[in-house]
Amino acid sequence: MGPLPRTLELFYDVLSPYSWLAFEVLCRYKNIWNVSLQLRPTLIAGIMKDSGNQPPALLPRKALYVKNDVRLLGQYLQVPIHLPKDFFFVIFEKGSLTAMRFLTIVKLEHPELLEKVSRELWMRVWSRDEDITEPQSILAAAEKAGMSTGRARELLERVSTPQVKNQLKETTDAACKYGAFGLPVTVAHLDDETYMLFGSDRMELLAHLLGKLQVHAELPLTPPLRDISCPEGWIQSKKKNVLGPSSNGASYRHRCA
Amino acid sequence: MGPLPRTLELFYDVLSPYSWLAFEVLCRYKNIWNVSLQLRPTLIAGIMKDSGNQPPALLPRKALYVKNDVRLLGQYLQVPIHLPKDFFFVIFEKGSLTAMRFLTIVKLEHPELLEKVSRELWMRVWSRDEDITEPQSILAAAEKAGMSTGRARELLERVSTPQVKNQLKETTDAACKYGTSIDVQPSTAAQ
Repeated sequence: MGPLPRTLELFYDVLSPYSWLAFEVLCRYKNIWNVSLQLRPTLIAGIMKDSGNQPPALLPRKALYVKNDVRLLGQYLQVPIHLPKDFFFVIFEKGSLTAMRFLTIVKLEHPELLEKVSRELWMRVWSRDEDITEPQSILAAAEKAGMSTGRARELLERVSTPQVKNQLKETTDAACKYGAFGLPVTVAHLDDETYMLFGSDRMELLAHLLGKLQVHAELPLTPPLRDISCPEGWIQSKKKNVLGPSSNGASYRHRCA
Repeated sequence: MGPLPRTLELFYDVLSPYSWLAFEVLCRYKNIWNVSLQLRPTLIAGIMKDSGNQPPALLPRKALYVKNDVRLLGQYLQVPIHLPKDFFFVIFEKGSLTAMRFLTIVKLEHPELLEKVSRELWMRVWSRDEDITEPQSILAAAEKAGMSTGRARELLERVSTPQVKNQLKETTDAACKYGTSIDVQPSTAAQ
C-alpha cells in the first residue's frame, strides 16, 4: 500500500471566480497527487470584514485587470468562465450568503455531493450569468448535481438555523486564523509543515511542495522554472534539499550557464 | 532563419521582490521562448500613486503572507531572496527613487548592462539586506555588474537631471497606461 494521502483544505466562496479556478485545478489533481481534498465553504464577505481588506474590484484598474485575467485563465485552464453582464451588481449587491449556507449544510448532510453542488452554483453565476440568491436558483443547482428536489428543499429550509449559520462562521474563522485576507485559500498539511497559499496561481508551487512537480527526461519547450540556467552560485548544494523532507523521488537536473 | 522574436516588456522596480522573481524567470526563458525582453525600470511608488492602490504590506495579514510567499517562491525558483530585517523601513522609508533613476540612465547609456546592474541592486536590498539609497551603494552595485567606477560616478551625477527624471516618469506613465486601456472583450454566450 502506498503512502497515506496528505490533506489539502480549500476555503472557497462561489462568489469568487478565482476560487472556481483553484477548485477545478485541485479536483483534477487530487488523485494524481494522492491528496485528500477537504472542501470548506467559506464566506468571502466575512474574510474581507475580518481582515480589513477590500475586494480588488473596488479599485478601477484592478476591476479592469480581473475581468481580463479571469477570462484568460478560464480559457487556459479550460474552465467555462464568462463574466456576468453586471459584474459589480452580482458581486456587491447580490452576494452569496444563502448559497454558502446551503453548501455548508450540504457538507454536513451530503458531503459526497458537495463538489457537484459547488460546481453547479459556479456554473450558474460565473458561466451562465444566472442568479444564485433565490431559493429556486439554489434548488436548481442542487437538482442538477443529483439531489432530489424534496431533499434539496429540506436542506434549504434549514439554511438559517443556528447550526448552519454557526458552521459557516466557524469555517470562515478558521480561514482567518490561517491568515486569509481573501479567497481562495489552499492549506497544505505536509509531514512537518503547514503551508497557506492564496489564490489560484500557486498551484505549481503547491505541486513542488508536494514533491509532485514533473520533470521530463528530455528538455521540454518550457522546462520547470527551477531547472533553467540561472546566475552562477545560486543553485544550492545538490546534497541538501532546501525544503526539508525529501520529495517523493522527483529529482531535478540543475544547470548553470 | 526562424520566426521573428516577439516582444515582452517588463516594468519593474528593485524595491519589489515579486519584480525580481518575474525578472529572473523572464531572463531565463527569453532565449528558450525566442522573445525579445525589453526591461523597463519603473517607479512603483508612482504606480501606486497614479492608480490609487496601496502596497499590500500595509494590510497586516497581507504583510505576513507576503513574507512567507516571497521566501517560498525564492526557494522554489532558486532566487536567493532573504527578507530585510526591517522590512517596513526598507520599503516605506528608504524607497528606491535614486536606484530607479540610476537604472533609467543605465538603460539610456549602457543598455547591455541593465540586466546585471538591476540584478546587483536586487541582490543588495533583497538578498543581503544592504542599502540601495546612498551613492556608494549604487556605485558598488554598478561596479559589481562590470561598470568602471569612473563611468558609474558620471552616470550617478546625472540621475537628478530633467532628462533622467522625465524618462523614469514616462516609463511609469506607460505602465499606468497599460493598466487603463485594456479592451475587455464581450463574453460570448455559454454553449
